[in-house]
Amino acid sequence: MEVLVFSIFNGLLYGMLLFMLASGLTLIFSLMGVLNFAHASFFMLGAYFAYQISGFIGFWPGLVFAPLIVGVIGAAVERYGLRPVHKFGHVAELLFTFGLAFVIEEVVQMIWGKVPVPYDIPETMNVAAFTWRGLDYSAYRLFMLGASVAIFLALFVFIAKTRTGLIIQAALTHPNIVSSLGHDVGKIFMWTFGFGCALAGVAGVIGGNVLGTEPSMAITLGPIVFVVIVIGGLGSLWGALIAALFIGIMDNLSISYDLSLYPVLALFGVEREVEGIMQDLVNLTTAGLAPVLPYLFLVLMLILRPRGLFGTRDV
Amino acid sequence: MAGLVRRHGMWVAAFAVMLVLPWIFQTGFAITMLNQIGVLIVFSLAYNMLLGQGGMLSFGHALYFGIAGYFTAHFLNGVGEDWLPYFPVTLLPIFGGLIGLFFGIGIGFVSTRRAGTVFAMISLGFAEMATALTLILVVFFNGEEGIQTDRMVGPEPLGITFGPDIHVYYLISFWCLVATAAMYVLTRTPFGRMSNAVRDNPERVEFVGYSTHRIRWLAFALSSFFAGLAGALHALNFEHVGFETIGLEQSGLALFMVWIGGARNFVGPILGAILITYLNSNLSDITDAWYLYLGILFMVIVMFTQGGLSGLVFMHEPIWKTDYRLFGRMMAPYALGIGSTIIAAIGVIGMFEMIYFLSTRVTEETIAVLYWMEVDAASALPWIACAAITAPGVAACRRTYPPMANSYNEAIAAVKGRMAP
Amino acid sequence: MKTPAVELRGVWKNFGNTEIIRGIDLAIEKDTIHAMIGPNGAGKSTIYNLITGRYHVDRGQILLNGEEITNQTPHEINRKGISRSFQVTNIFHRMSVFENIRCGMLWHRNYKYSFWNFLGRQGELNRRTEEIMVRTGLASRRDVLAGMLSYSDQRALEIAITLASGADVIMLDEPTSGMSHGETEQTVELIRKVARDKTLVIVEHDMGVVFDLAHTISVLVYGEIIACDVPQRIRGDRAVQEAYLGTEVA
Ligand SMILES: Nc1ncnc2c1ncn2[C@@H]1O[C@H](COP(=O)(O)OP(=O)(O)OP(=O)(O)O)[C@@H](O)[C@H]1O
Ligand SMILES: [Mg+2]
Repeated sequence: MEVLVFSIFNGLLYGMLLFMLASGLTLIFSLMGVLNFAHASFFMLGAYFAYQISGFIGFWPGLVFAPLIVGVIGAAVERYGLRPVHKFGHVAELLFTFGLAFVIEEVVQMIWGKVPVPYDIPETMNVAAFTWRGLDYSAYRLFMLGASVAIFLALFVFIAKTRTGLIIQAALTHPNIVSSLGHDVGKIFMWTFGFGCALAGVAGVIGGNVLGTEPSMAITLGPIVFVVIVIGGLGSLWGALIAALFIGIMDNLSISYDLSLYPVLALFGVEREVEGIMQDLVNLTTAGLAPVLPYLFLVLMLILRPRGLFGTRDV
Repeated sequence: MAGLVRRHGMWVAAFAVMLVLPWIFQTGFAITMLNQIGVLIVFSLAYNMLLGQGGMLSFGHALYFGIAGYFTAHFLNGVGEDWLPYFPVTLLPIFGGLIGLFFGIGIGFVSTRRAGTVFAMISLGFAEMATALTLILVVFFNGEEGIQTDRMVGPEPLGITFGPDIHVYYLISFWCLVATAAMYVLTRTPFGRMSNAVRDNPERVEFVGYSTHRIRWLAFALSSFFAGLAGALHALNFEHVGFETIGLEQSGLALFMVWIGGARNFVGPILGAILITYLNSNLSDITDAWYLYLGILFMVIVMFTQGGLSGLVFMHEPIWKTDYRLFGRMMAPYALGIGSTIIAAIGVIGMFEMIYFLSTRVTEETIAVLYWMEVDAASALPWIACAAITAPGVAACRRTYPPMANSYNEAIAAVKGRMAP
Repeated sequence: MKTPAVELRGVWKNFGNTEIIRGIDLAIEKDTIHAMIGPNGAGKSTIYNLITGRYHVDRGQILLNGEEITNQTPHEINRKGISRSFQVTNIFHRMSVFENIRCGMLWHRNYKYSFWNFLGRQGELNRRTEEIMVRTGLASRRDVLAGMLSYSDQRALEIAITLASGADVIMLDEPTSGMSHGETEQTVELIRKVARDKTLVIVEHDMGVVFDLAHTISVLVYGEIIACDVPQRIRGDRAVQEAYLGTEVA
């Protein structure tokens, strides 16, 4: 029972982090048609900046400044990098962000090295918030959950209540419409991009110390975020939320329970002791399969419902 | 014979070059590199069947390359351990191709319903799934170690043992030539043309009677065949297949080769494969920052040209076809532009090298070797020197690029002027 | 009565909450030229898109030679013998004029997805492509990339691709828009020649062209056909004059 509760809790946490990335990505995608391959790289930059800043002046200033810096970098990338590429079409934009992700990873390695940096949970929160049936739950995790929920609520209020939010809503349901609204499209694009990157940066700041801050963190998380927005349905924030939580929880459950898949095979009359390739199947466990799960869901979704959970358009 | 040379001059020349190359570059290092180039030419051409010909940007095409490599390695091992019947090693690339085709048909069906960014995302999903599986299905993939194999199995007709690398060189270059020719011919068939049409305007394709999905699917499957063929060659070349051959890194390499070489014409990927493999084998030992430079080069090319390096060359085709003397006036502006670029690059690279040196060193040593000179990276002097090279270099670029573009435009205008009666 | 080449039965189409096509019944006889006219936004192009499968039909049926084709995919409908052009030029920009036209022909000359026929060797195919290129006045532009053509040449290419299939039913959407007077005349002649043994549907704003070419005319206003008849009677129809033609013909 406690395993179930805790893994759902951790799953929610991971899911909220995924959502913070996915929401920015899907916003940018609906508004500008740009699939930002480097999105998770901004997440990584957030973590590294937070590490650097917290070394100097502490975690809290890092929580504020790191995302700001990431956001500004994002806006600059849009203004001086993406915009000139825009005329070549969406595939060229995607290529650009792919190159950018590659370069950011190299630059991070250049500055901070190839091994993980010791970006730690702030001392004050490295304590148990509560203990339940003999299991501690860390205060920092609670804070993460609180922070991500707060950001999530702020995002929804922003989109539901503000003018810019309305434009974004319009863009979500009718991509490419914004250019015909007569607003200063360039500025909106730039700030949306920056804003999305800053969101990813926040996720980096609060997630980097738990997930580990290293040069490969972008490329491990990035593809999963893509899966989230496809499963959720392109352009649907609700979809992204549900898909992110679903993937987060599935991931945690399959790891905590670590069930063997052999009983399923046994139904087909497979022997426990087999030779060769079949061994791989007999030895499968849910924990082993965890990294594959998001992609399995992706494939299933594509076959069964190409538009995703809440999508209005086919992917 | 004369007719053959006239009609297929390029191919005859390529064949001749292939035969003599190992006589010119005899070192083991060179042969190894040539082998790798041969494999990657096939792979990047296969990749370009999707990207350049069919308009599909894939982040997962190495899947077919890698999978075929694994199957080939297992096959060889099976033959070596006598639980599989003998099959000529020379023909194994076909086997690899069929493996690629098999997976390409299956995965292609679900992923080619849409093109563009969505296709790209899906391809990445499959690539990541396969990468994760390499660590789960340990018997087949053997985790991070990969599968070792031995290509010297079975009879040795004509003394071809495939022991020495030079034997493998001829094997690879033979298949490289065959595959290149086959892929070239494919561009000249109804399928090839419709594949271009789908790239340009999928909507209209439906209104001339073709199913865009079918065309993409076919392109995907055929391209996977050639990727698989390249994967088999890779396995034969290294006698080892690792999990990195399946993942994003390998697909990204193909993407870089194709886009830098140029996706818009047939030779672009070949050029890219040669250039990048060459630089990779020669520079990765010299500088840690080589991948950074590669990434920057890629981004610059994405930002400023759609045709890659070969596109820049072919841009000048109308000029040399009309009158090569028109190049005369372009010499000076081009030399100035290229010169300033080199100067700026020298300065920037110097700084990158010093940052890398400082951040990756394990000792307290601060003396770095930069441009064959010993400099103290912790002192201000080399930084000032680099800045003093970069700043005027960049300024010069800004001054010299417009005249360069102008001289090109003038030459093209002159060409047009001569064509109009 | 003969089966019509194309028949619409009670066809409806909404975009969101707006009814754009409101119960169209229309029968177009085989081997005739039918013109569809109507003010901007009446729904002419939408009807084309419904017939050729580009849009989904909400209600009603569409038949081709008596066979139902409602909501089939565009390529299926095209294969059954409807070839159309687009009001907004819809060509293959990075391919040459010659290649563009050949693409229009491949399926219908039974090449399908063949990846073993060398295109350069298909004498008959290439000859016919050249022929269409000459007939549409594009011969001098043979190897120019379609994206580089002038606007009116692109319009001509649009028609050329449509004709290349040799389909029995040809549907042209404002074929002469953007063409000069001389080019329009040439195009009209071409259309007349092509239409000799085919069914041709044309949307056109140039009334001269319409009354010159058409055997029957339907007038579309706000998604409804208010009149469908031979040109002489359309000219005299009061409702039509009020709704659309106004001063132009009177
Ligand atoms: N995909 C669409 N989504 C929403 N509305 C559409 C769509 N296509 C057409 N419409 C609307 O349907 C109406 C009819 O458009 P249509 O293009 O068929 O007119 P038309 O008769 O061809 O006019 P024109 O002479 O200007 O070409 C217009 O009001 C248009 O705005
Ligand atoms: Mg219209």
